[in-house]
Amino acid sequence: MSGTPQLLLDVRDVSKSVRGPEGRLDILRGVSLQVAEGESFAIVGASGSGKTTLLGLLAGLDTPSSGGIRLDGHALETLDEEARADLRRRLVGFVFQSFHLLPALSAEENVMLPLELEGDAGARRKAREALAAVGLDARRRHYPAQLSGGEQQRVAIARAFVHGPRLLFADEPTGNLDQRTGHHVADLLFALNRDHRTTLVLVTHDARLAGRCTRGVELEEGRLRAPRAAAAVTA
Amino acid sequence: MSLLRLSLRTLRREWRLPELRTLAGSLVLAVAALGVVATLAARVERGVLASAAELIGGDAGIGAPQPVPDAFATQARGRGLAVSRSAGFPSVAFAHRRSQLLDVAATDAAWPLRGTLELRDAQGRTHAAHGPAAGTVYLDHRALVALQLQVGDSVQLGGRTLRIAAELLREPDGGQLVALAPRALMSLADARQAGLLGVGSRARHRLLVAGAPAAVRDWLAWTRGATLPQGAERITPERTQERMRGAFDRASAFLRLVALLSALLAGVAIALAAQRYARRKAPEVALLRALGTPRRRVLGLLLGTLLALALPAAALGVALALGMAQGAWLFARALFAGVSTALPLLPALAAAGLGLAVLAGFALPPLARLAEVSPVAVFRASLARRVRRFDVLYLVPALVALALIWSQSGSAKLAGILAASLAGVAAVAALLALLLLWLARRVAPGAHPALRLGLAALARRRALSVIQATALGLGLTALLLLAVVAPALLDGWRRELPPDTPNWFALNLQDDQRAGFAQALGRLGADQLNMMPLAVGKLVAIDGRPIDGRRYADPRAKDWADRQLRLSWAEALPPANTVVAGRWFDARPARAEVSVDTMWRDMFALKLGDTLRFDVGEGTLDATVTSFRHVDWSSFRVNFFLLLDPAHAGALPHTWLASFHLPRGRAAQVAALSRDYPNLSLVDVDDLLDRLRQIVDRVGGAVRWVLAFSLLAGALVLAAALAASAAERRHEAALLRTLGARRAQLRVAAACEFALLGLIAGLTAALGAAGAGWWLGRAVFRIGHFVPPLLPLGLYALAAAIVVMLLGLGGTRRVTHTSPMRLLREG
Repeated sequence: MSGTPQLLLDVRDVSKSVRGPEGRLDILRGVSLQVAEGESFAIVGASGSGKTTLLGLLAGLDTPSSGGIRLDGHALETLDEEARADLRRRLVGFVFQSFHLLPALSAEENVMLPLELEGDAGARRKAREALAAVGLDARRRHYPAQLSGGEQQRVAIARAFVHGPRLLFADEPTGNLDQRTGHHVADLLFALNRDHRTTLVLVTHDARLAGRCTRGVELEEGRLRAPRAAAAVTA
Repeated sequence: MSLLRLSLRTLRREWRLPELRTLAGSLVLAVAALGVVATLAARVERGVLASAAELIGGDAGIGAPQPVPDAFATQARGRGLAVSRSAGFPSVAFAHRRSQLLDVAATDAAWPLRGTLELRDAQGRTHAAHGPAAGTVYLDHRALVALQLQVGDSVQLGGRTLRIAAELLREPDGGQLVALAPRALMSLADARQAGLLGVGSRARHRLLVAGAPAAVRDWLAWTRGATLPQGAERITPERTQERMRGAFDRASAFLRLVALLSALLAGVAIALAAQRYARRKAPEVALLRALGTPRRRVLGLLLGTLLALALPAAALGVALALGMAQGAWLFARALFAGVSTALPLLPALAAAGLGLAVLAGFALPPLARLAEVSPVAVFRASLARRVRRFDVLYLVPALVALALIWSQSGSAKLAGILAASLAGVAAVAALLALLLLWLARRVAPGAHPALRLGLAALARRRALSVIQATALGLGLTALLLLAVVAPALLDGWRRELPPDTPNWFALNLQDDQRAGFAQALGRLGADQLNMMPLAVGKLVAIDGRPIDGRRYADPRAKDWADRQLRLSWAEALPPANTVVAGRWFDARPARAEVSVDTMWRDMFALKLGDTLRFDVGEGTLDATVTSFRHVDWSSFRVNFFLLLDPAHAGALPHTWLASFHLPRGRAAQVAALSRDYPNLSLVDVDDLLDRLRQIVDRVGGAVRWVLAFSLLAGALVLAAALAASAAERRHEAALLRTLGARRAQLRVAAACEFALLGLIAGLTAALGAAGAGWWLGRAVFRIGHFVPPLLPLGLYALAAAIVVMLLGLGGTRRVTHTSPMRLLREG
């Protein structure tokens, strides 16, 4: 690596609150963080600490109540939902705890989805290459129900990488897998992060997984305890 | 808290759930569809029943070619019954050098005993009256116009000069629909004195009675023991009704079928909605059970909620049915002139019962299983969703469907046929839908991404897609059959008839009139003249055993056993007849022979070699069955069930029946002809066909909207399926939004999905209607090469695709607004 890495995510004093039956509920309070291109970044915290809400805000799935988020220089809070969808399509990939593959589409068709949404003519070829990269070339015609949990998550990873996103959000990617399979999936994620220089933002309970990230933060009741180095997160 | 209050509270909380609304809507629709058809049918039937006595002019009677003996009248009076005598005959009236053949009824002053005789006097006032006084006559509008007379003028009838006392507006006797000649009513005494009823007259005499039903039945029973005069038959409301009901029964059977289809489709919607509701309620039930609520109370709560929803829905269905039945009645009542009946409530209430049975039958399996959810399911949600592979409860909807079909068809045999045909049609529709779906999947890899997404959506809910396509397809098939295929068939049938097909019939032509009549027709430009001898007789014995109507199971045989038959004879096999067994007559057979139509063969279980005995006039004829014929009754030629060999039948007393073709618009010349031959009855088939077409159009207009029910039911199934798949759709939408899909992309994909679904339903319906049309054309209308109207059918299929697409887009509008955050929250 040479030169200063470009800032891909710049979060400034972001808060999120919602109206509940008992008045205002603050989910996030004054969160600021930066993620540079090529980094792997972990968000850890207890249940209800606001991890998922923060991930949604970072990915442009939702907008903050106050503060600002810049994704590759675009101020998300100034964009409407359609513009944010465009940005996601071009820049972002997702891996979910429950895989979220469409059951009626084959592995290959599931991987083609993001490319098709962009109108990419070479969608099928690229999907095959992505499946080959996660070692599932032979199973590309299989449907999700015919694949194991680990295989489904590998298909989901192929889908997340296939359109060459610069930023990959992974929400508990190993949460539904046994330890051994989870380990393989995590290896795959970090390998792709390394080989493609794709920035990885990872939400997890798993301290060991968070420990493999270059940096991370811990959330507690909607606030950042402190930006820490990887070793500190694992501690 | 009482179960009732708890149920009501639950309903208030859950009323907004789409599946409960679908349940209620389906029930309203099922009750309304079944109710409106049943109410209309009952009303018309009651009208027909009520008008039967009115049509006869009495409760019962005897009709005979000669005056009915006094003993019959004495017996009736002895039972406290009122008695009236009348006679009907054709006669020519003269006035100011004009003449006109009239259909005359000569009545006594008591006539009519039932129904109304409505007159208009010289001042234009209308009033009800009885038979005319001696020296007076009532003429109807057509007679007055033809003879250029007015009320108060005189007319010569049967050699007597009679004063026209009033214009005849309406009379019992039901002549309104197909009155062949203008009508006159004169006094029986005048007719007797004028010699119109003497020996050799063609008058048909009637003795009518009216009074207490028990006395009428008693008198009828007595007539069965008494010897009826030659050629006489009993007149009863039942027999009159039977003849009137034939056409009505067929029409109402079709409507009942459509209503049944709507109710069954509503049942499918109910089943889908109930399943969705059960799935939604499973965690709640598990929790209730875990907290210690007994299973019985859970079931009671579920049923209470369902009942609280169903009762108002059924009431709404009843109200809708009654309202629509009243509307349709007002529209179509002109067809049942003179029939005035109150709106019957019972059929609509019975429909509510049927609707509730459909709800119970189709909603019960998922709800009953819901009560069995284990309390352990609070820990493992998958337990709440567990589905048993086979459950005896699955048989309940099938049994309810069968019971429903049985209740609508009235006989177990018909119900069996109906159930099998419906199941067959549904299976074919489902197979077609599956095939089209499979074909679409085959072309998918090369298709546009939005189309692929739409197809994938159909494929991943394949069972639901097939149910929706089948339901929509069946509803649409019913509509296409009536709207597109039926008119095309009628037109095809008309075109198939050669242009010179006989369109006039002349009855009662005498031997010595034949040559002159043929010449007169020639001068008018008529062609295709064909004359057949016609003898009137009665079948009295088969193989020496006297005919007894009660012996036959076939109601048609019962009827024929009592009736006068028309017999004819011919040297050569007439056109449109085919010998299917035996051989046509030899030149001079040793004994009399008869050729029998296949329907008669089946009715009376006849075999070749059987001997039939006929009473004709004063004589008797024994004839051996030597052939069976298949007769094409749609050929518009003169045809007979029984044809005798000319060598033996030629001597029987007979008249001639002529058929000929006359270009349209020559009715005036025919009227002139009828003045030269006053004894002839001339029938204009074109005129009859035009009247029939008017009736068909009118009835068709009144019932077409009943078909809308089946379409609505199809749409309800679509709505229920949308509700059933809503959660899944929202999840998919959230995923696609997360991956960066625009709303427009989601909408295009949904449009593709529903357009495809509509296209599959439309194609299924078009193919179904075309197939049914092709079969009807061959088997029923016997049109050589009937090609169903493919273009209109194709256009309808396209229109269906568009309508379903719009409905689907409307139903999934909120799905495209799903927040992508949903996915993260789901894990």
